[in-house]
Amino acid sequence: MSSESSMFSHRWLPVLLLAPLMLLIVLFFYVPVFQAFYWSFFLEQPFGGGSEFVGLQNFQRVLSDPEFWGATGRTVIFMLTASSLAVVVPLMLAIAADRKIGMSYPARNILVWPKGIAGASIGVVFAFIFNPFVGLMAPLNSLFPGLWNPGIDGTDAFITLVAAHVWSGIPFNFVILLAGLRSIPPTMYQAAAMDGAGPWRRIFDVQLPLIMPQLFLTFVLEFTESITSVFALIDTITGGGPGGSTTLLVYKIYVDGFRGFDLSGASTQTAILMVFVLILAACQFFFLGRRINYER
Amino acid sequence: MTAIDTAIRAAAAEIALIGVTKSYDAKNTIIPPIDVTLRPGEFTVVLGPSGCGKSTLLQMIAGLERVSAGRIVIGGREVQDLEPKHRGCAMVFQNYALYPHMTVAENMAYSLKVSGVSKAERAERVGTVAKMLGLADYLTRKPSQLSGGQRQRVAIGRAIIREPGVLLFDEPLSNLDAQLRHDMRVELAELHRRIGATSVFVTHDQVEAMTLADRILILNKGHIEQFDTPKAIYHNPASVFVAKFIGSPPMNILQVEGDGSVLRLADGQVVANYSGIGKFQLGIRPEDIAVNEGGSIKTEIRYREDLGSHEILETKIAEQNLRIAMPFGVEIDTTQTLSLSFPQARLHLFDGETGRAIANAFGDAHSASVKEYQ
Repeated sequence: MSSESSMFSHRWLPVLLLAPLMLLIVLFFYVPVFQAFYWSFFLEQPFGGGSEFVGLQNFQRVLSDPEFWGATGRTVIFMLTASSLAVVVPLMLAIAADRKIGMSYPARNILVWPKGIAGASIGVVFAFIFNPFVGLMAPLNSLFPGLWNPGIDGTDAFITLVAAHVWSGIPFNFVILLAGLRSIPPTMYQAAAMDGAGPWRRIFDVQLPLIMPQLFLTFVLEFTESITSVFALIDTITGGGPGGSTTLLVYKIYVDGFRGFDLSGASTQTAILMVFVLILAACQFFFLGRRINYER
Repeated sequence: MTAIDTAIRAAAAEIALIGVTKSYDAKNTIIPPIDVTLRPGEFTVVLGPSGCGKSTLLQMIAGLERVSAGRIVIGGREVQDLEPKHRGCAMVFQNYALYPHMTVAENMAYSLKVSGVSKAERAERVGTVAKMLGLADYLTRKPSQLSGGQRQRVAIGRAIIREPGVLLFDEPLSNLDAQLRHDMRVELAELHRRIGATSVFVTHDQVEAMTLADRILILNKGHIEQFDTPKAIYHNPASVFVAKFIGSPPMNILQVEGDGSVLRLADGQVVANYSGIGKFQLGIRPEDIAVNEGGSIKTEIRYREDLGSHEILETKIAEQNLRIAMPFGVEIDTTQTLSLSFPQARLHLFDGETGRAIANAFGDAHSASVKEYQ
């Protein structure tokens, strides 16, 4: 038995090993985060040339803007629907794949591939898939004209976004949940079968409780990621439209800052969004995380 | 019989396996057709080396493995095509297989909950079983907070709470340490006496088999080598396989040749009188060998193991190993050649080719007492 300190007796070695990563994190995470907070207290000139300290005026302006609240509401709705589906759909796939069905090994491999596709590419693909004239819904549209058109109908556009997000979330969540299911000893199912529990009952009484750590992990990651990673999808599929119906907070920040050149407003919203995500994650850990049973 | 006993005493069911076969494909037969009947309330130990198909046999009775052919009849009902829950069996697993997210009480009550027993009755029956197994103080604990022996008790409680007609045990003691294994063995024997369910207990441990079983079923590569009482199996092994498997240290098996009047070792020594001609295998237990000055059989001592209560002498005779168990206190000069004699009544003779026992080869006197079981 060697303790961690005896493995790394050299005093500066751990620091040196950590340094490159720490440098990257500081440069590309902590500094921008700090800057966003810093700028949210200043009125920034759009084309440079000095800034003026304005205290909480930026926050007053943003928080009294109905568009901000609209975008926030849409963000919450997206977060709840998309991230729930992005866990539930892979969960169903994982439970199916866990029951030694033929071809489940290659299927497990193939299901992971979408992880390697950039969000923007997924967006372009789904823009085609859900295109009202040439996509999957085109035959339905010819039967019921006007049934599906994400270019005009905000709800359709929102559904398209959710579908694209869920699809892109399948690989990672599938792998995590399947790993959780595979680690349940088979005698557990045998014991449940002897106790009289059928396959469905076993899902709810044995499988789900025993993969709670994995479910919790995927939910936490999905909740936070659904808020930020949706940007690429919005930018390529809907552009925030129609009529702002898919303008989520993260997209609004981009439009305000880099199209409207309201750098201070964008910084302020960024700061608010960041705090919101932090509070969300903290709440999940506080209320759910403590009740998770990690014992096997 | 106390109130607790009558509360959980089950109606024991007879188990009949009729031509039961298990094979995964044409070449890979785990269990060739097996025919065996386990009497109601009987404690049967299925004994065999790993890979002999004993766990598969148990899982087929439980319904966790499908039978490839044949019928399983439990309590007069054909069950081979029924789900495990409709067979009236309960099972105790080797690794306990307790639900880690449930408390001891929830673990034991789960089967009752699934079958829709009311909350009040569940609590009452959990209370009864917990009291019986000494678990009353642990009902709110999770399995991870229990010791190995306690976990095994919970697993047993979970099995008996439904009052099953059949109790199945899949090597339930092999994860416990030696002392605990002994204690649990005693408890299991006592429990069986009180509950009375037909029990099938799978193990590779001959001590468990000898101490727990009403009858032992010895499996070798899926075949039944012998199915008899522990006494009969010890005194009248049906084959060389059984003879070597039961007893510690195991029975000595010597290759001998018969000339029509005596059996000789390869070096010409005469070991017994027998009228057969040809190759035979002669069995004698280490404790049955008589060491005496006048013995006609000579052997060289190679090694000596002092176990306190007795001594084991490792000797060599005609290039074959021969173990001798000596009672405590007998002085032996280990540098000298040892003189032995094999009491005729203690000898076992097996066919040289098949290894099957040749009955009454030496006028087996000691087997008379166990004949009634066969």
